[in-house]
This record gives sequence, C-alpha cells and structure tokens, in this order.
Amino acid sequence: MSWYTLPTTVPWLTLVIVIPLAGALLVALTPGVARSVIKQLGVLSAGLTLLLALAIIGGFQHGVGSLHFQFEESLRWIPSAGIGYHLGVDGLSLFLLGLNALLFLIAVLVTDPQTPRLKQFILLLLILEAATAGIMLALDLILFYVFWEAMLVPLYFLIGVWGEGRRVYAAFKFLIYTVLGSFAMLIAILAVAAINFQQTGQLTFDWAQLIQHPASGLWHLPLGLGTVGIQQLLFLGFALAFAIKMPLFPLHTWLPAAYVASPVPVVIVLAGLVSKLGAYGFLRFNLGLFPDAAHSLGPFFAVLAVIGILYGAFMALVQTDLKRLVAYASMSHLGFIGLGIFAGNLLGIEGSLVQMINHGVIIAALFLVVGMIERRAGTRDRAQLRGLGATAPLFAALFLVVSLAALGLPGLNGFVGEFLIMLGAWTAFVPLAVGAGIGVILAAWYVLRFYQGSMQEAPPEPPAFSEVRPVDGGVLAPLLALMVVIGVTPGFFPAAVEATVKALPVIVR
Amino acid sequence: MRIDLSGIGIDYGVILPELVVVGTAIVVLFLDLLLPVARRRWLPAVTVAGLLAALAVSFPLWGQNREAFGDTVVGDSLAAFFNVLLIVITILTVLISPRFLRALDLEHGEYYILLLGATAGMMLLAAATSLMTIFLGIELLSISLYVLSGFARTAQRSQESALKYLLLGGFATGFLLYGMALIYGATGSTTLRGIAAFTTAGSGASGNVLLLLGIGFLSVGLAFKASAAPFHMWTPDVYEGAPTVVTTFMSVATKSAAFAAIGRVFIATFPSISTRWYFPLALIAIFSLFIGNLVAIIEDNLKRMLAYSGIAHAGYILLGVLPGTAAGFSASLFYIAAYAVMNFGAFAVVTALGAGGERTADINYWRGLFYRRPFLASVMTIFMLSLAGIPPTVGFFAKLFVFQALVNAQIWAPLVVAVVMTIVSFYYYLRVVVVMLATPDEAVAEKSRVGISTNGVLGAAAVATIVLGVFPTTVLDWATHAASLHF
Repeated sequence: MSWYTLPTTVPWLTLVIVIPLAGALLVALTPGVARSVIKQLGVLSAGLTLLLALAIIGGFQHGVGSLHFQFEESLRWIPSAGIGYHLGVDGLSLFLLGLNALLFLIAVLVTDPQTPRLKQFILLLLILEAATAGIMLALDLILFYVFWEAMLVPLYFLIGVWGEGRRVYAAFKFLIYTVLGSFAMLIAILAVAAINFQQTGQLTFDWAQLIQHPASGLWHLPLGLGTVGIQQLLFLGFALAFAIKMPLFPLHTWLPAAYVASPVPVVIVLAGLVSKLGAYGFLRFNLGLFPDAAHSLGPFFAVLAVIGILYGAFMALVQTDLKRLVAYASMSHLGFIGLGIFAGNLLGIEGSLVQMINHGVIIAALFLVVGMIERRAGTRDRAQLRGLGATAPLFAALFLVVSLAALGLPGLNGFVGEFLIMLGAWTAFVPLAVGAGIGVILAAWYVLRFYQGSMQEAPPEPPAFSEVRPVDGGVLAPLLALMVVIGVTPGFFPAAVEATVKALPVIVR
Repeated sequence: MRIDLSGIGIDYGVILPELVVVGTAIVVLFLDLLLPVARRRWLPAVTVAGLLAALAVSFPLWGQNREAFGDTVVGDSLAAFFNVLLIVITILTVLISPRFLRALDLEHGEYYILLLGATAGMMLLAAATSLMTIFLGIELLSISLYVLSGFARTAQRSQESALKYLLLGGFATGFLLYGMALIYGATGSTTLRGIAAFTTAGSGASGNVLLLLGIGFLSVGLAFKASAAPFHMWTPDVYEGAPTVVTTFMSVATKSAAFAAIGRVFIATFPSISTRWYFPLALIAIFSLFIGNLVAIIEDNLKRMLAYSGIAHAGYILLGVLPGTAAGFSASLFYIAAYAVMNFGAFAVVTALGAGGERTADINYWRGLFYRRPFLASVMTIFMLSLAGIPPTVGFFAKLFVFQALVNAQIWAPLVVAVVMTIVSFYYYLRVVVVMLATPDEAVAEKSRVGISTNGVLGAAAVATIVLGVFPTTVLDWATHAASLHF
C-alpha cells in the first residue's frame, strides 16, 4: 500500500542528492557578505530536500518484500570496472532519508547568521547533506564508498575550522579514525567483487548482484598461522568502517572529542545522523552480504554493543560538561541499536531501525537544548546551572519531554525502539538483554539528574535566564511532535520496515 | 656505394609528432633571433601553434601498430596516449609561463626552445622500442631540463638545482647505459623485440646473470627519471631550486615519460621473467610510498612537499606495473593522466603565487589564502583533495583502479603499504587546506594579478579534476586501449 503514486519518469532519488548540491553551488556563487541571502539559500535547499524526502516516503509502497527496491535508478557508470550508478530505497533506508533531510534543515536553521565564514559553513553543510543522502541510497558498493568518503571532508572542516576548544585535534582524530576504517572497507569491497568475479565470471559492484553469491571458503594465513573464513574476514573489513563511524566500543575514543568540539549545527548532524550511517552500513552490507559471518561474529559484536551501552551510561553519569554528557548518552543509546542489529532476529533488527530514527530525533533535540542553555547562560557546566525553569517554564517543559523520551518513557518514542531491541536480545542472548536493561536504568538516572539539576531546585543560577525564542521552539517542535507521534503509534514503523527486514539473508537463514 | 634502406622501414608518419615539435623548436629559435624585442611575445603563441599541430598529427597513430626505422620506434596507441598527454602538459605550461617569466625577468626565447626539446625527448621516449632510442629520448629530455632548471641564472638556488640535477642525472645515465650494454651483451640485440624474443625463447633467461644485472641497472636509470625512491635524492632540491614553472612542467611530464618507458620495458619486453623483476620493483614502489609520504609531512616548503608527494605518487603508479598485466598497466596509465592533471594544477597554483618571490612557497605565506585569493585557494583545495585521493576527484579513481588491479592479482603486502601511506598522506594534503582557511597572522598586502591565461589553465585543470572524478570512463577506456596493445 501507499498513499499515492509518484510518476516514475522523474529521478526522485538523484534529486535528493542534487538539490543540496545545487544549493551549495548557488551559495558558492553568492558573495560572502550577503549573509541573510546565504542562509536563506541554505534553508531553501534543505527545505526542498525535506519536502522531496517526505514525498518519497509517502509514495513508497509498503509491504513489498524480498529485497525489492523502489524508485530505482540504474545507469552505466564505469562499465569496464564493473561500477554502476545504482540508487534505490527500501525499508532500511526510507525513514533515514527523512531523518537526514529533517536534521539538515534544523542544522541550517539553527546556524547563527553571524557565524564567521558563514558562506563556507553553509556550503559544507549542504555538500555533507548530499553525501549522507547518497550513502543511504547507493546500491553500488563503489558508489557507496564515494559518498562515504565524500562525507569525510566537509565534516573534517566543519569541526576543524568552526569548532571550539581543541577543534584541530578533534577533527584530526576523527579524520584518522574514519579513514582507517574506510580503507579497510575499500579493500574488502574490492575483494568482494574479485571473489564474485571468480565465482560468476561477472565483474560487478552491484549490491543486488553480490548478495546472491555470498563469499565462502577459507583464507590460509601466511607462515602457516592457520586459516580464517573469507566471509568473516570481509565482514570485519566492513565492520571496522561502520564500527568506527557508529561508534562501537572500543573504537569510540574520537567521539567525545569530536562531539564536544563541534558547533551545534554540526553536532546535530554528527550525532543524529552520521552515527546512524554506521548502523545502516552494518544492516545493509554486513548483514546483507555476509549472513554466515553475521551469525558467527554477531554475538561478539553484540557484547561490544552492550559494553558500549554500560560504558557510555557510566561516563555520562560522571560528566559535568553537559555537551560531553549528551555525547556519552548518545554513545550509550547507540549501543542499543548495535545490540538490536547483532541480535540477528526480526524483532531486534526492526527495533534497531526504529531506534535509529528515535535516536536521531532525541539526540538532536538534546544537543539543541544544550546549545540553547549555553547560549543563554554562557556555560555548560552542570555545577553552575540551577533552577532555570523558574524563569523559563516553557523551555523547561519542552526540555522535560525530550528528557522523558531519552530515558525511554512509554508513550514517547524512545521506549518503542528500546523495547523491541530488548525483546530481540532476550530471544538471542538473555544476559545481554539484562545488561541493556541496566543501561536503561542508568539512562533514567543521568537524564533526570541533568534535567532536575539544571531546571529545578531554585533559586535560578544564572538569574537572567530567558525564555525560549520562537525560532528555538520552531526547531524543537517537529522533533517533539515526532517523539509523541512515534510513541503513540508504536506499530507504524515496525510494520513499515517488516517486509524488508524479513527478506534479509541473515533472517532467511 | 648504395645503402639499401628499404628493409628498415622508413615511416615518417610514426615520428611526425616528434618532427613537428622539433621543427617548431627550430622555428622559434630563428624567430627569437629575427624578431625585434617588442615582438618576442609572439614566441609563446608560435610554440602553442606548433604543439597543436603536433597534437593533430598524433591522433592518426591511435589504434595503429606501425614499427619503423628498424624496430627502433613504434607508432601505436600507447605512443599516441603519451603524445597527447605530454603535448597538453606542454601547452598548459606555455600558457602559464609568460607572466611568471616576466615577473622574474627571465623572458628569453631559449625557454620555449628548451621546453620543446624536452617535450620531443619525452615523446620519443614514449615511442621508443629500442635501447638506443630510449637512451636518445632520455638524453634529449634530460639535457633540456638541466638547462631549464638553471634558467634563473642569477638565482643561486636555481644554479645549485641545475648543477645537482646535471651531476646526479649524469650518474644515473651512466647506470642506464651500463645496463643497456649488459643487456646487449646478454641478448645480442638492442631492439626490445629482439630482447623479448631472447627472453621468451631461451630457457636460461631468468638465470642469466648478465641480463638480470643489465635489467637492474636499467631500472635504476628509469627510476631516477621517474623520481622513485631510493633514487629520488635530487627531486626535492631540484624542484625547490628550479623556477616554479619549470618544476611544474617536469614534475608531471618527466614522470609520465619515464613510466611510458618502464611499461614498455618491463611489461612488454620482460613478461616471461616477471618473477625476477617483481621483487625489486615492488621494493622500489614500497620505498617510494614510505619516503615520499613520510617526509612530505615535515616539509614546510610547498615545492618540497609536492616533490615528496610526487615521489609517493611514483610509488602508486609503479604498483600498477607490478601485476605485469594489461589491467594493471592501464590502471597505471590512468593514474599518470590523473596525476598530470592534479599535480600540474597544484604546481601551477604555486607558480601563480610564485611571481611574488622566493618565500611564496613557504606554507606560512598561504595562511588565510582563502580570504586574499579565493579562486586560487579553491582550486588548490580541489587539487589537494584529489592528490589525497578523496572522491569525487580523479585522484580517487586513480588509486581505486590501482588497488583493484592489486586485489585482482592478489598482491597484498604492497597494497597494505599503499593503503596505510594513503592515510598518512591525508595529513599533509589537508594541512595545506587548513592553513589556507586559517586566519592570517599578518596582513599580506601584495596582490599581483594572476592573468587570464593562468587563471584559465587553473580553472580548466580544476574542472578536469572534478569531471574526470565523476566520469572517469572515457579516459579509463583510452588507458585500457593504450595498455592492451602489448599483449
């Protein structure tokens, strides 16, 4: 079923990538002093992309399974190397596409027009949006890799040039980690295609082709050190890239530095979206291309995910810097997504897909709140903030909804995903579900302490804390609305993605 | 006494591009003598016209396989590929030259003559199928470049650069000639065809010490010209000291021509003993990757940094030769074309700034360039990203195709080194961009005009870097076609 049918003659998915790029081009041609024009161009192109993404979500045929992609576009690109331009959307990527467009629109909206070098800032944000959209839509492994790498440079500059504190260190650490993972993945991509070529005689990087012939066999280590399963090896190559991006414990050490150094618009995108791309990569490539390895290595990664949940939660408990607190909270919540993916069953994967959207919405809102507090109070130090709710009751109310969603209160969105993931983990490995449960309890602890410490317990400190501006309410409103809507219609997302998840090889086996 | 020449296959069509270039050089030589000083500015125009004519007569060689002059030169797709590449590089060099030369007070007609001479030597090298013509090509390009390196006669650095290049180059030529002599001694032939016949027919070729020693010396000579480590010592000093516009030219053109010869010698002539040359060549490639990328990190002079980066890129190109297959060599050829575009661009930006004096190559001068010179900084960013191999630029596909060839040939150790060193290279390429974005320490007031032709060349190179990074198919097909003729 779908709400309506979009004409098939329009390359909808290419437009999702091209509109931000076109916006970036227009921004590039605008003189740097025309600040309001630049920002309006950014809002316009990000807004158009959101409308387009919503149109695609509406026109998507739900319930179509067995790896059917919709709005598919397939063109020859570099035929002699087996590389094609293949885009498509299915249950795994559909809602992420919407999240992508929404978060970028918010990021552009909250960008301060007085930001130094505003032109380059908006330009890089728009290029980043095109790259992240491409990552979700690409069905050719090299095309995917192109977008994956293209995402890196804008992020590097956004952190390194417009960041705060140890920005150059943070940007460089982020770069090195990410590139390390990317290249491991690149070699794995090339090897996957080479193995497929040996098996079938067809040189292709097309996901839909490669998925039909999973790699098999053993690789003999040099010097007689034993053998490794080729599929396991390739799985690890991809996993390194995605585990770093997500990040999964113990590859997370770039995260606090990068999140804290990033300006608010960038951290919204970085935490809300880019981390999901790691999770998406796991689902699309690791579980898609290497189902056997996913079964054999999944438990190991599930353990890492639970360690990440607990580690992130404990670290969040001891932070005094609110931005750092949310950064670790984000990491803890990402662990849930990882756990759901590596539970390897229907409930877990559905839960992780739902939780990806939820996490994006909640973490973006939390970072927005932290940004608003910092801008008004001039500090993010928890010790110096008290009783702000007394002078800004509306702000406190909005913040409360976000907090409750973050700690997984039933009726709000965080609960839906976490509950499904816990169910999936329970059927797969009970002890891990227990560990994740402890993480939920800790989340309640650090989130409520964050909220109560800063909003309640009068007298207000600093005293002159002002109420939300309309623009702040405006950017929070869609996020809050999503929290409530997803929370009260918990069956919608799982039903929408079920057909796709059921067709994944890792479930079929 | 009549000498019968019909047997050796005289075919001027094969060397017509080289003849046109040499002819242009002679015309420019006379024009330089005859024209009044005020009209000397016509010399670059004449040079470009001659080069365009040479370009036109290069195209008919595409798809041919015409051996001529007793198997000493061949007109085939590989030669045409390199003719086009080298001529385009030279044209672009001429286009960015006048303003730079005027700023440094180096406007002499000899510059264009030497440039054409070097180009002719490189083209000959790419078409050479005999040890004699290989040597002829290398000498022609080398001697021209020796003089060009010292073209800024009054600058001590330029003198030092030329002398260093001459001495070390002469030394390398000695190796080259000695290697050729040994190969001739072992095989009894100077043509590549004759040598190839010997190595495939004789069962003892892979154990023939004389031949192997000869190949070793020959590779030293060629690796020197390609500035691959550990025969790279001259590169940073010469690149730094030579006038920047000359550095721009030789950093891409010399390397391209040297790799044409490496391809013909190793892949076409000695495939049957590839197990013998594989290891030394792999070692040279790995050395180049290590030294180039690691030393580039600490260089604060952009010309030296790009010199080490060029050494590293020689390593990547050499990796494509290792599998000894057409697919691998076509990846190398694509890489050479990509390198030519992006590295020419990067050096051309240095040239455009270089008219301001010596210190413009210092990285501190580039601080905040985005605000002083937005156009130059933007195109430099594109070239740096491409050299690092970040999509969507041509540098990404260059590396991708080489890596793909290595994976398909299951060559793992050099691949791992290449990947790790690529990660290292991100540091120093992105550093340039970060510096250009930084807030300037002191206000640099001077702002000399760059000129329309230089801006045009820079814009064209930047556009090509992006366009070839999005649509690499055509050039890849050309490279594949050019590489496949040998087999």
